Amino acid sequence: MTSLSVRQAGSARQAAHAGGRIPGAGPGRWAVLAALVVLAVVMLFPFVIVTLNAVKTPAEYSSNGPLSLPHGIYLDGIIEFWNRVDFGRKLLNSLLISGAVAVLAVALSVLNAYAIGIGRVRGRLWILVLFLVANTLPQEALAYPLYYLSKEVGLYDSRLAVILIFTVVQGAFGTYLLSAVLGDFPKEIIEAAAMDGASRWRVLWRIVVPISSPTLSVLMIFFFIWTWNEFFLPLIFLISNDNQTVPVALGVLQGDKMMDATMSSASALLGIVPAVAFFLIFQRTLTRGVTVGAIK
Amino acid sequence: MSKIGIVAALAAAALTLAACGSSDSTDTSGGGGSNEAKTLTLWHYEGASSAMGVAWADAIKQFEASHPNVKVKFEEKSFEQIQKTASMVLGSDQAPDIMEYNKGNATAGLLSKQGLLTDLSEPATKRGWDKLLSPSLQTTARYDDRGIMGSGKWFGIPNYAEYVMVYYNKDAFEKQGIAVPTTFDEFTAALDKFAKAGITPISVGGAEYPAQQIMYQLALSKARRPWVDALQLYKGKVDFHGPELTYGATTFADWVKKGYIGKDSAGIKAEDMGTAFMSGKYPIMISGSWWYGRVSTEVKKFKWGTFLWPGNQMSAGSSGNLWVVPEKSKNKDLAYDFIDITMKKDIQNKLGNAGGVPVAADPTAITDEKNKELIENFNKLSAQDGLAFYPDWPAPGYYDVVVSGVQELINGSKAPDKVLDELAQPYNDNLADIGG
Repeated sequence: MTSLSVRQAGSARQAAHAGGRIPGAGPGRWAVLAALVVLAVVMLFPFVIVTLNAVKTPAEYSSNGPLSLPHGIYLDGIIEFWNRVDFGRKLLNSLLISGAVAVLAVALSVLNAYAIGIGRVRGRLWILVLFLVANTLPQEALAYPLYYLSKEVGLYDSRLAVILIFTVVQGAFGTYLLSAVLGDFPKEIIEAAAMDGASRWRVLWRIVVPISSPTLSVLMIFFFIWTWNEFFLPLIFLISNDNQTVPVALGVLQGDKMMDATMSSASALLGIVPAVAFFLIFQRTLTRGVTVGAIK
Repeated sequence: MSKIGIVAALAAAALTLAACGSSDSTDTSGGGGSNEAKTLTLWHYEGASSAMGVAWADAIKQFEASHPNVKVKFEEKSFEQIQKTASMVLGSDQAPDIMEYNKGNATAGLLSKQGLLTDLSEPATKRGWDKLLSPSLQTTARYDDRGIMGSGKWFGIPNYAEYVMVYYNKDAFEKQGIAVPTTFDEFTAALDKFAKAGITPISVGGAEYPAQQIMYQLALSKARRPWVDALQLYKGKVDFHGPELTYGATTFADWVKKGYIGKDSAGIKAEDMGTAFMSGKYPIMISGSWWYGRVSTEVKKFKWGTFLWPGNQMSAGSSGNLWVVPEKSKNKDLAYDFIDITMKKDIQNKLGNAGGVPVAADPTAITDEKNKELIENFNKLSAQDGLAFYPDWPAPGYYDVVVSGVQELINGSKAPDKVLDELAQPYNDNLADIGG
């Protein structure tokens, strides 16, 4: 959700730039600009509310409500939350799981897609349909089977279990997408390489991967952020506090009947920041990757 | 392409970390059992500054002092994680030795039926916990073979209690010249005076549990114990058009009409109900003792107090959550020792002094005036066997039914007797399911 809004804001900015290059555009430009500003405000509003409440004292929140401005900056909520859940450790866990999934899932997708998209194996359509169906399965339906499997192999309550699961889940989507992209890969290049005596492995590694690298890096970043934001399966598989990820840790504050609004805001802020930061760093790669196809 | 390089390097580092991380965790879990020194794994989901959090932290210290070779490994869990994963965790080797769990048929009752909880009947009688807990507190601790509370074996030990009361703004009462009501008529007169002065008296959250508890309180004013037992424990037939619920629903609808309850409160959440009361917008809030700690730390602008629902013999309320010992617990005796410490007078008093409702405290040892009021009211209620549980307990998924029924009363979109029909349907279906 959040990452999406940033992306849209980003592309909105680009669109505004592009508009600027049109010589002598009329009042329509301003209408577009106004619409974009409204959109940006709507997108940013939740961030502002969260930030406002994160730096408020609980008493201020109770007496003046969520929309009031804080009287000063109160960072105890953030600090206390950080210590209470050992947030540094959770960050490391999230980074480790998301990073590993991003790389492994892209690798898996490339290998699959190479076989399906370029290798054109028999029955590839049905394989793709199978992947697509697997993709639409709700995670709730997977929870119990995965629980029994992981318990059998002794991986229940380990980060490795979550890494494996999400590598497959994201890999299924990646395979589907990349197969379509590689299906359009110019055959001349591959034939030329084969003529020069390159093995299949060499073709994949030296030709297919470098040419489709913009798409791959986009996939990798998406996988990272999607995995980062995953909640349900990590909640079920990461039982020990030492193994938990950031979104699971945020749940600690929501009680049976009570919630601590200011500390929840503080934790939400801490939870969003890494994903946003990651997004901002790789933003350019993303926009480039979306626009550049496999064939130049 | 350097960006890819960075991601790849990050991930490679992450992978090596993962490799040592996972072997690390197996080491600790395997090493604990074989050693001389033991570990008691303990989970609960109360915040560190809540009354229970404070008292139990002290209990852990006492436990470690009296068991020098045992280390307590405490993990604070999220309520949601325990709710969603309890049956999975307790069925695996990762089960803790002792944990806090929700009372009720759908939670502790279900786990006991699945054989995931240890029968605590023996330690409960041997260590005298059964004598410390009053009958209505015991109700939620015992479950029969069908997993229904009220009788059968002990599967949990409640350490604290909760009940619904009236929070009021003393300053606002003084301004209107209203004394604390002691009878139901005085209470309605007070509400009327506020309404006439143009103030909506009661802060209500109709989108969540609070509104239904008000309706239930009204029904209880006409009810006796056998009716509650019939409704909650399936001991007899309940007539949804009997005098109790009819009075509850019609009076509730009447209160909306007279302006005691805001017409727009159907969409208000419990959290917003609380903040509206704490900011002084409404003079009265009718809700549970779980608000007490927060109201006392966060209300600074006005004086406030609480009283029991005037004229009622019974009130919504019950034991708090339970200590349960998973069937797969590796240190059951240590778990019993720990429960025993939490039931001792000094930990119970600590819980009371921190703003909770203890089940076995010494009222004279509670120093804070406000907390004393809270506990004395509870003891009064408990002594008259007045805990009547909650309106959403009787059937699985009943909560949503009751919420939408009461919302219809607030919006005036359905007549009270139509709403009662709606409430009766799922209740009777469930009764047929369990063969009652």
